Amino acid sequence: MFRYESLEDCPLDEDDDAFQALGEEDEDIDQFNDDTFGAGAVDDDWQEAHERLAELEEKPVAAVEQTGNGSTDEMDLLGDHEENLAERLSKMVIDNELEDPAIMRALQTRPVVQPGGLNSSIWDGSAVLRRIRGPLLAQEMPTVSVLEYALPQRPPQGPEEERDLSERALPRRSTSPIIGSPPVRAVPIGTPPKQMAVPNFNQQILCPKPVHVRAPMQQRYPAPYGERMSPNQLCGVTNSSLLGHPFPPSVTPVLSPIQRAQLLGGAQPGRMSPSQFARLSGFVNSPLASMNPKLLQGSVRQLIPPAPGFRAFFGAPPPATPPPAQQHPSCPGPHLQNLRPQSQMFRPDTTHLHPQHRRLLHQRQQQNRNQHRTINGAAGDRGGHRSNHQEQLRKDPYANLMLQREKDWVSKIQMMQLQSTDPYLDDFYYQNYFEKLEKLSAAEEVHGDGPKKERTKLITPQVAKLEHAYKPVQFEGSLGKLTVSSVNNPRKMIDAVITSRSEDDETKEKQVRDKRRKTLVTIEKTYSLLLDVEDYERRYLLSLEEERKALMEERKQKICDMYDNLRGKLPGQERPSDDHFMQIMCIRKGKRMVARILPFLSKEQAADILMATARNLPFLIKKDAQDEVLPCLLSPFSLLLYHLPSMTVTSLLQQLMNLPQSATAPAPANPHLTAVLQNKFGLSLLYLVLSRGEELQSSDTSTELMQDNQWTELMFMATRELLRIPQATLAKPVSTPANLISLFSRYVDRQKLNLLETKLQLVQGIR
Amino acid sequence: MNYMPGTASLIEDIDKKHLVLLRDGRTLIGYLRSIDQFANLVLHQTVERIHVGKKYGDIPRGIFVVRGENVVLLGEIDLEKESDTPLQQVSIEEILEEQRVEQQTKQEAEKLKVQALKERGLSIPRADTLDEY
Repeated sequence: MFRYESLEDCPLDEDDDAFQALGEEDEDIDQFNDDTFGAGAVDDDWQEAHERLAELEEKPVAAVEQTGNGSTDEMDLLGDHEENLAERLSKMVIDNELEDPAIMRALQTRPVVQPGGLNSSIWDGSAVLRRIRGPLLAQEMPTVSVLEYALPQRPPQGPEEERDLSERALPRRSTSPIIGSPPVRAVPIGTPPKQMAVPNFNQQILCPKPVHVRAPMQQRYPAPYGERMSPNQLCGVTNSSLLGHPFPPSVTPVLSPIQRAQLLGGAQPGRMSPSQFARLSGFVNSPLASMNPKLLQGSVRQLIPPAPGFRAFFGAPPPATPPPAQQHPSCPGPHLQNLRPQSQMFRPDTTHLHPQHRRLLHQRQQQNRNQHRTINGAAGDRGGHRSNHQEQLRKDPYANLMLQREKDWVSKIQMMQLQSTDPYLDDFYYQNYFEKLEKLSAAEEVHGDGPKKERTKLITPQVAKLEHAYKPVQFEGSLGKLTVSSVNNPRKMIDAVITSRSEDDETKEKQVRDKRRKTLVTIEKTYSLLLDVEDYERRYLLSLEEERKALMEERKQKICDMYDNLRGKLPGQERPSDDHFMQIMCIRKGKRMVARILPFLSKEQAADILMATARNLPFLIKKDAQDEVLPCLLSPFSLLLYHLPSMTVTSLLQQLMNLPQSATAPAPANPHLTAVLQNKFGLSLLYLVLSRGEELQSSDTSTELMQDNQWTELMFMATRELLRIPQATLAKPVSTPANLISLFSRYVDRQKLNLLETKLQLVQGIR
Repeated sequence: MNYMPGTASLIEDIDKKHLVLLRDGRTLIGYLRSIDQFANLVLHQTVERIHVGKKYGDIPRGIFVVRGENVVLLGEIDLEKESDTPLQQVSIEEILEEQRVEQQTKQEAEKLKVQALKERGLSIPRADTLDEY
């Protein structure tokens, strides 16, 4: 595994290439993610997450690592190292923000074990800074503090060493394995994952024989590059680009699990001084220590990794001793790869790197710095949240393994699926369903019956109006288009030209078809117009002020088109025949459509439709026998009627009775009117017309109807017909207007009025 | 009560104790630690619970990563009501034995049924072939 015995042996170039490739690939993946999920969706760095998780595992490693490093200075073995370790761990408690005053006090009075130790100064530095500058700064501080505090105390060394400063500081804490990964950022202070380190230690101290030692090192710390790189390569990588000097040849890289267990569990606790133990017992009393024993047992495994480090120092010191500062990084083992990224952050000088690689690193660092800022913000937010759940967290040290950012990421992705510029278009049925639901609950509230049912409501993203006018880059004089394709800007493959067939073609084709098909086509066309028109209201609300006028014009034009479609009006024709309209009205869909169109039409247009309907009512009634959808026309008609003047009402009544304008001779039996009276829709319509007439009469503004002979005549005929028709054949109207009695009272005597009343069940209508 | 679309609604459930029913019929109980947009789950301190009649047994499973498509059912466990159950906890060995017995009786009943149907000239597809998706 550790074959390379000198620098010359290391395949430097290869590794650099490999790094570069990896880095680039990484960038690519980020780019793909951005394209797929939209920018920002994945700006969260998975590496960071990994780092954080890795930290959970590495925490003990880091602690032991340091002690190892510190002890190298004095070439001391486990004794001092023990003290050091205890001290480090007690400092970690500060990091964990255990605000136990007792512990704090103990810490302040703690003896300085290794004044000259490089790493203790690092720890002091960050700890001090953290206390002084507050938690916000502390996130970014470690980088600085390491340099600041480490530099002055370093023993003087050659320029070669100067460069390696970062590497020496490196093993303080290991992080994610990929080059250019996030900087060594402490997990936002006080987050639970960090606290794990403490119980681990407890376990280590208090349980002399860890039982759960299972997998060997290689498995515990699988190479993150997985298949891409062999362990040998990895070693070469760390060796060449990071360490800059060969491994000591005599190092045993991997310990057997049992060896490690002995090393950790057997040797250490025995050497603790009572005072240290007392300090540690502070942990035990802390809420964190009250952990599930199962957890503790499980976490013992996490303590194993440091062992190879020990081995490197204590087991087999290299014969030709290099300067102590360099010695530390020489501890090999798969876990080293985890340390590498850290060096990126601490490395003040990257001249030995490939330029491309350096550029990449730089970019990464910049990104990470930005991320830091956001993370600090997020951590601040979480602070409040944490206090709420403190109770819960105490019980559960593993809580919040999923960071708020990660949660946000998931919800962002889920929200993105629902994002749409036009929910009515994208999600019509859902929108309508909820409109209905809202109406229902509103109605329930009005009635106030029962306890208010709390409906669960889906949170949907705010409608974002996205303007996407993507113009592919085009170089002058070039034919090709340079396109970057994404979800929002799909790649344009061809310039498709829509060739609409001319009207002539269509009409020619239509002549071939039969009449019914033609009508169906008309209905479909009119329907799409109708849907468009119905949409205008929404569009109007969404549109800008200056667009509205154009929209109104468009709408007006479409309404006119609809009317023309209905009436089958050709441009030159003065008055269209009813035939076309009747064709439409013979089809169920057509009838429903007319009912929907009517409210949009102008008064004149709608009146024309109403007239045509009245004129041909018996025919329509006959055709409607199966469908029985005509009554759906009643409500738009009644709305319309109440806006019509008396003249129109009179002629409408006339149309209903199917009398020529001048006809005065009453037919003994009027087949037209009879048919009307025998139909639900017909009778209802007649009632509506009569009711409107009465309304006009009773309101003093229009007395003209009274003087209108024609109306009076028509009324006489209508009442006569109503009296004549047997009650059995009389249809049951949809509704009976209340003012019919007063109307009839003007034209018939008392006796006949009573008769009418009972026959038409007008009394019932009054209720 | 408002809820987020899709698996985002699970975010509220994170770090709570959950029961997850898998597509193969296994029942897992553990703390939900992490989710993603596919409803892939990470369960912590997981136990697989086997119910047979009024008895149940827990097999400790540790950390369980569940691929989202295998989740049939997921629900939070009320920690306060968790203990007052009419069911009786038994050891793993016992519950496994019980399960084995139950499966055996089930199989035998199934066999009888198939045979009876066969005698009448009918055949139903075997249950295990239906189970395979």
